[in-house]
Amino acid sequence: MRIPDYQTAELRRKNVRLAWGLAGLALFFLVTSFPFWTGIFRIVGTQAIQ
Amino acid sequence: MSTTTLTHDEAHHHEAPKGWKRWLFSTNHKDIGTLYLFFALIMLFLGGASAMLIRMELFQPGIQLLDPDLYNNLVTNHALIMIFGAVMPAAAGLANWMIPMMIGAPDMALPRMNNLSFWVLPAAATMLILSFVVPFFPGGGTQINTGWTIYPPLSVQVGMSMDFLIFAIHLLGISSVLASINIIVTLLNMRAPGMTLMKMPMFCWTWLVTAFLLILVIPVLAGGVTMLLFDRHFGTSFFDAAGGGDPVLFQHLFWFFGHPEVYILLLPSIGVLSHVIPTFARKPLFGYKSMVGAMLAVATIGMVVWAHHQYTVGMSLGAVTYFMIGTILISIPVGLMVFNFIATMWRGAMTFETPMLFAVGIVLMFTFGGLSGVMLAVVPADMQYHDSMFVVAHFHYVLMPGAVFGLFAGVFYWLPKWTGHMYDEKLGKLFFWTNVISFNITFFPQHFLGLAGMPRRIVDYNMIFTEFNVISSIGAMIFGLSHLLFLYIIFKTIRGGKKAEGRSWEGAKGLEWELDSPPAFHTWTVAPQIK
Amino acid sequence: MHNNQKRETRNFKPDSICRVIQTNRSRLPGFWLIAPLSLAMGDAAAEYGLNFPEPAANVAQEIFDIHMMTMGIATFLLIIVFAIVFYSIYFHRKSRGYEADQEFHNSWFGNWSWVIVPVMVLGVDLTIAGKADAVLKKVWDVPKEENIMDVKVTGHQWWWEFDYLDHGIKVESRFVPAEESGDLYLREVDNRLVLPTGVKIRFLHTSADVLHAFWVPELAVKKDAIPGYVTETWAELNREGVFRGQCAEICGTWHSRMPIVVESVSQEKFAAWVDDQNAIKLAAAAEASVDKTWSMDELMAKGKPLYDTKCAACHQVNGVGLPPAFPPLAGSAIATGAIADHLDIVIKGKEGTAMQPWGSLNDLEIAAIVTYERNAWDNNTGDVVQPADVKQAR
Repeated sequence: MRIPDYQTAELRRKNVRLAWGLAGLALFFLVTSFPFWTGIFRIVGTQAIQ
Repeated sequence: MSTTTLTHDEAHHHEAPKGWKRWLFSTNHKDIGTLYLFFALIMLFLGGASAMLIRMELFQPGIQLLDPDLYNNLVTNHALIMIFGAVMPAAAGLANWMIPMMIGAPDMALPRMNNLSFWVLPAAATMLILSFVVPFFPGGGTQINTGWTIYPPLSVQVGMSMDFLIFAIHLLGISSVLASINIIVTLLNMRAPGMTLMKMPMFCWTWLVTAFLLILVIPVLAGGVTMLLFDRHFGTSFFDAAGGGDPVLFQHLFWFFGHPEVYILLLPSIGVLSHVIPTFARKPLFGYKSMVGAMLAVATIGMVVWAHHQYTVGMSLGAVTYFMIGTILISIPVGLMVFNFIATMWRGAMTFETPMLFAVGIVLMFTFGGLSGVMLAVVPADMQYHDSMFVVAHFHYVLMPGAVFGLFAGVFYWLPKWTGHMYDEKLGKLFFWTNVISFNITFFPQHFLGLAGMPRRIVDYNMIFTEFNVISSIGAMIFGLSHLLFLYIIFKTIRGGKKAEGRSWEGAKGLEWELDSPPAFHTWTVAPQIK
Repeated sequence: MHNNQKRETRNFKPDSICRVIQTNRSRLPGFWLIAPLSLAMGDAAAEYGLNFPEPAANVAQEIFDIHMMTMGIATFLLIIVFAIVFYSIYFHRKSRGYEADQEFHNSWFGNWSWVIVPVMVLGVDLTIAGKADAVLKKVWDVPKEENIMDVKVTGHQWWWEFDYLDHGIKVESRFVPAEESGDLYLREVDNRLVLPTGVKIRFLHTSADVLHAFWVPELAVKKDAIPGYVTETWAELNREGVFRGQCAEICGTWHSRMPIVVESVSQEKFAAWVDDQNAIKLAAAAEASVDKTWSMDELMAKGKPLYDTKCAACHQVNGVGLPPAFPPLAGSAIATGAIADHLDIVIKGKEGTAMQPWGSLNDLEIAAIVTYERNAWDNNTGDVVQPADVKQAR
């Protein structure tokens, strides 16, 4: 895979920064969609009681 | 700007590599676009074959061909393959091919991630197919008999094939999110100088909105199925009322993804129509700004009305009233889009090549599907329609014209650009007519089946439903087989045909038509200046 | 009403299969004429089975009306759109020498259509939403009345259980195989849901295993049955008759085999039916509580019909099951192993599978089923399980 040479270093930085920003947005929606932590706590809690 | 100008040095460095390495290691948006499109084509035939098996079983009352679990498994796989395997990759293929050419960019912003987002797909498809195949082997557990909605607790009962399915959904989701990030970055950072957002071609706008929708909703689905996986294997009870969980929670998570998904499938095709109709009406798109506005409105309202897929789960009066009114209001932006398309045709100088035929067909049939959608939005009436064959008819009338025919229109429209050959117009028209007529024979009678009381996803039915099922099944066989003609036309065009000019259609406007047909391996290495 | 009569002949007097197919065939050509018309003429459509069946409940009538209204509006809009598009593709074509109007989108209309069109659509939307909201308010919440009759509807894989909470009656309603149901295959059950007319009935929906949905078109009632939840709907029947529906939420292998048959009868007939059911229940309880030792033959004779109705949907009449979802009983480790384990799985079910607890059956019934399972299909263990053993195992 050849590194694309048509992008200036500045444009490349800009692209990668925006991409990470969008990935962060996706991750935020992933995490907030989970009542995950409540579930984990429930397991931990019940096992602790037992 | 006539064609791309490559300096000698650049041309030397950017020759297409030969053999399998060209495809496996490709970072070229055109090659990756081609890969996406062929992948989608294979999946279209897989999904189509499963649909034809379903209709064969439903041809007559009684269980003739498929045992009930296999039938349900096919129902599940038909939906997942068509949505995640055929329509979304096909739309991504069009995006890969066309977006850089339309905005005057040399390639996608993140070419290596582009490679990754495609090559995740075959792995995902393998997982998906394994989920279908595994139960046939000894010890493979039960078949997935849940439908694509994989509602618990039924999906918790299913054997290991459900785990394959969950991982397939994760992989498909990763692929879509990566592709979306790439498309957004490309559209926001890589436009040719002078191309403001409001000068961007409509197809790019639709994909910008689609990509944002994908980034927002796919992670929610991923979260939902992950919790399902935990419930299945790790003793959690997110969706198990006995352990303090809530089976309806999964439905909310699923449809929070599932409803915007409808617009994800729809919008790229709306984008294609926004190019096809002006081209063949030979006048500019009517209401560019209102189109952009309508699309943003659809996406926004579409994010907050998911629960109209679950009117029957027992929500409060206030909740269903809200979801009903929200859903009905979607008809405003969608109506505006349809209106703009008709107004673009109005007082144009139209010719009816295959892409335009599909476009007109879409406007008519999508309106039909949209109107039955308004009927479904009405909660008291939905108490009857819900989960009946009426719903099956409705969403096929929305998604088949709204998404699939739009992609067909796009393929016929840009095939000369991609291959450098004109497709066979006579065969194209033959394909359109057999396809659209058999589509209507297949799905129109299903409205009546639903009203008469036939639920969806049943393998066997009482004989009062026979006649419409017979008609529907006959239509489905013709509809399914007609796609072989589509395949033939595509390969015939790739192999040869009348030479296509750079501007393949008389009325075609836009940067992509300034390039040769087929375009050079790298295009717009020198960005065009937009006035 | 003519419509009503026609439907009844079709549904309730089983014709030979040949005759039905003949009638179907004679009706087929007419369909293509009728179908387009039916969209415009709702009432006429009902006669040809192209629309909802005639409502049998007060609320159902209002739902039917709003369905007809939205369908009317949709048809009207569709005709307008089709007319404009077809006018345009006929007149505004290049082959007729029509010149494209390049400034159309810049005309007054072009500049303001983004306001005009949404306002018009909003008008239509408000018409629909207004009417829908009014009907919804009447339909959605169960009226708060003292003398409302409660029926608890429990979905099981794959049968329905109806508990008449006010009468202490429980009805198990199962699909009847094709040999016995004939033309009503998948639309007939062994025990119907008998309901009185003219009484407000509240249905309380729940499920014992996975999601199901209770749907009878004539009642316009559809509600999901969700394990761990109780959802409500209500209906007031306004005519006698037999109304057929099906489970509407995919619930696994035999989703297609969960018919619902509502038999709507007058209040007097309903009272008589309730008395009958109570008498049957008392007789069964009396029989089960008799302190006697049952012989193998007696238990096998009782066990076979019980097994065939309650167990055979999954484990099959011949005991071979439908692996891997439903294990065979013929020669199985459970059915030929320790009696205690066998009783345990029948009474308590097996978690994570479709095997549900059957503890609601009385001791005699379980004893008969277990005895039958241990001696049928060459299992020949020779074990005789007595009701007393079951009582002990609970």
